[in-house]
Amino acid sequence: MTVLSLPETLDLKASGPLKAAFLERRGDAVEVDAGNVRRLGGLCLQVLLAAKTAWAADGKSFSIRAPSEAFVETTRLFGAEGALLSADIHGVQS
Amino acid sequence: MDELEAIKVTFFQECEELLADLEGGLLAMQDGNDDGDTVNAVFRAVHSIKGGAGAFGLEPLVRFAHVFETLLDAVRSNEVPATPDLVVTLLRASDVLADHVSSARGLGVVDEAVSAAMAAELKACTDPNAAPAPAAVVEAPVFEAAPVAAAPAEALIGADDALDDDDLGFDFQPMTITIDEQAADVAAAAGNVWTVSIRPKSDLYRKANETALLLRELARLGPIEATLDASAIPPLDMLDAEAAYATWTVRLETEEDETAIREVFEFVDGDCDLEITRGEGLSADAALAALLAGETPAAIAAPEPVVIAEAPAPVVVESAPEPVAVAPVVEAAPAPVATPVAAPAPVAAAPAAAAKTQQIDVPGPGQSVIRVDPERIDRLIDLVGELVINQAMLAQRVGEYGIAPSSNLAMGLDELEQLTREIQDSVMAIRAQPVKSVFQRMPRLVREVASMTGKQARLVMDGENTEVDKTVIERLSDPITHMLRNAIDHGLESPEERKAAGKNPEGVVKLAALHRSGRIVIEVSDDGKGINRERVHSIAIKKGLISPELQLTDEEIDNLIFLPGFSTADKISDVSGRGVGMDVVKRSVQALGGRISITSRPGQGSTFTLSLPLTLAVLDGMVVDVAGETLVVPLAAIVESLRPKPEEVRPLGPVGSVLAVRDSFVPLIDVGLTLGYREASPPPTEGVVLLVEGEDGSRAALVADAIHGQRQVVIKSLEQNYQQVDGVAAATILGDGRVALILDVDAVISLRRREPPRPVEPTLIAAE
Repeated sequence: MTVLSLPETLDLKASGPLKAAFLERRGDAVEVDAGNVRRLGGLCLQVLLAAKTAWAADGKSFSIRAPSEAFVETTRLFGAEGALLSADIHGVQS
Repeated sequence: MDELEAIKVTFFQECEELLADLEGGLLAMQDGNDDGDTVNAVFRAVHSIKGGAGAFGLEPLVRFAHVFETLLDAVRSNEVPATPDLVVTLLRASDVLADHVSSARGLGVVDEAVSAAMAAELKACTDPNAAPAPAAVVEAPVFEAAPVAAAPAEALIGADDALDDDDLGFDFQPMTITIDEQAADVAAAAGNVWTVSIRPKSDLYRKANETALLLRELARLGPIEATLDASAIPPLDMLDAEAAYATWTVRLETEEDETAIREVFEFVDGDCDLEITRGEGLSADAALAALLAGETPAAIAAPEPVVIAEAPAPVVVESAPEPVAVAPVVEAAPAPVATPVAAPAPVAAAPAAAAKTQQIDVPGPGQSVIRVDPERIDRLIDLVGELVINQAMLAQRVGEYGIAPSSNLAMGLDELEQLTREIQDSVMAIRAQPVKSVFQRMPRLVREVASMTGKQARLVMDGENTEVDKTVIERLSDPITHMLRNAIDHGLESPEERKAAGKNPEGVVKLAALHRSGRIVIEVSDDGKGINRERVHSIAIKKGLISPELQLTDEEIDNLIFLPGFSTADKISDVSGRGVGMDVVKRSVQALGGRISITSRPGQGSTFTLSLPLTLAVLDGMVVDVAGETLVVPLAAIVESLRPKPEEVRPLGPVGSVLAVRDSFVPLIDVGLTLGYREASPPPTEGVVLLVEGEDGSRAALVADAIHGQRQVVIKSLEQNYQQVDGVAAATILGDGRVALILDVDAVISLRRREPPRPVEPTLIAAE
């Protein structure tokens, strides 16, 4: 189990590194710490969705830990709540 | 017809179907089937009528439907129990609703007093304290268990429920509508619903713009609901972190206009494909898809495909964390490396188009239907009729040249005949309709007649799906109406009499349709007292219809009621018994090439049997020669054909003779003599005998001179082009261009009965 802490801002600049960070952890169960996120953009959302799909395909656990209110709210705004924050949310703060 | 009118016509057609569904559902409830699905279907029918009526500003209809619907909603949520009494009330309400629909259509006027009383009754049933249940309407159920085909419409209409809180507040604003907006306007009663389809391009992100901000801006205009389509996102390792893949469809409810919505996207102009449509678009569809467990093609294509989230709009605006709420922060370093990848969004586009189509043409639940102008079908049928004639002519010409049956030409002709026949069958099938459309009007009739006559009657219907040509269907309504009225008014006893006779006070009237030997048979039966033969006989004598000394069989007495001017009712009632009763039925049935008969058992009821051809367009017939004339005998009536041996023909009476066929004797009828082609019959042994069976099962042997063969003929009405001729059903045009008469077998059999041996008054026989 590895932990991936998301930065405060998940924008255009963050999407490439985020993808790399996930690829690095491929094959291991991952816990994504979304507690610090203050901004989530469309590109990073895509990376997160693709990662979750990849982890599901690998049969490895992918969970989002303690998402910040902003993270949850934006995910909801995107209509991605069900896809991203389903079952394995741990300790939603909102 | 302008667009609005055309849509209106469609609306009324749908109303017909919805009213039928409504009644069907209520009748099912009456039979004790009050499961959730039935109640839901009943609710939806009224709800859909209301929704459509709202769009056209049919206010009285909307008002009544609203009250009706409120009660049904209470029934649906088990707040009001569906007692048998309530169902009866609901049935009556459905009649009033039907009146409102007719009135809105310009057919007839609604009795305002009746409507108001009904509305008051419905309100009282809903809740004596008059508290409608808006919450239940809003949240629950529009999507649940709705058949996929009907769902978009349901979803559209669902929106207007927000208004339902208050009857009096239902204030309709008439609007001009266009085809594209029709469905949207249904929802518009509750505010404007828009569907915004957003397909960001990679450039949008590269220029440091953000979809999240666009969504947030949209949410400022009103509540939004974004549906994400993630199906285009590639696997993680193939993913370009800076390319746009995901697309969104947003359902937006706002009072603002399209310009305001477009302004949101002002800064991303060109970097984002945008489609703004009025009304529910994909989002409703997708919402449905997601609710129905995501079994859409999109769902199969992507593991986490279409997901919906409610954006809590007010929260977004007021309490979003600061950094998010501010305008786009322009970041310094745009990534130059990114390969522009056009975000493919075929999935989003296709359902959107589909949704649009469905908005306009909403087929009935579970079936797809094409509405075609009947004239086009009639024209097609006419043409196929000509084709059949032409094909017959061709075959005849070829025959005249003495071409061998095994030759290519003859075989080709056979194939042509096969094809022609198949085309004809297919074309006729287009026009065939289930008798349901006629039957479904009858429950109401029975209710009304029963209440007018103070009788208790239950209608049992059977074979509603029996198909028959549209031309026949149209003319079935009157005879059936009349027979049903007659059955309740004259057939059934009053509840007291029934009790005294040890019967259930509620009488049963049965209406059944079935196919029998190429004809459609309609039976109307009751379990009443049966025909009072003594009384019928004495009335017929009193009215001078028959002579007193005449001895009649039971069957003949029963048939007296078909005599013109015969009416057994002592008093003329509102319902039937105006003295124009059954003889009119008989004539209209005969005009259709049909027959009507009655059987009755005292104390047990009567059965009227009506037999009609399935189509009035074509007929399979045997072409025969009689006294130099060519006649066609309907094949359906022919049992067998034979050449009689002298020992099989026995004289009977002064002029008659019978034919021994196996163990029975059947009367020999010379067609030429009966129709007046000749004065004296040649010996039957010189001709050919067609053993025929009448509708009542009686057999006769028709004598013809020669048989030409079997052929399909196109029926040309004699009544329309000339006048009715006894013993002749219609005419046709043969392959050689000559006109041939089609024999009415039953009429020929009964014509023979009027021959000398039995001294019967002419009036009776003419009417028999």
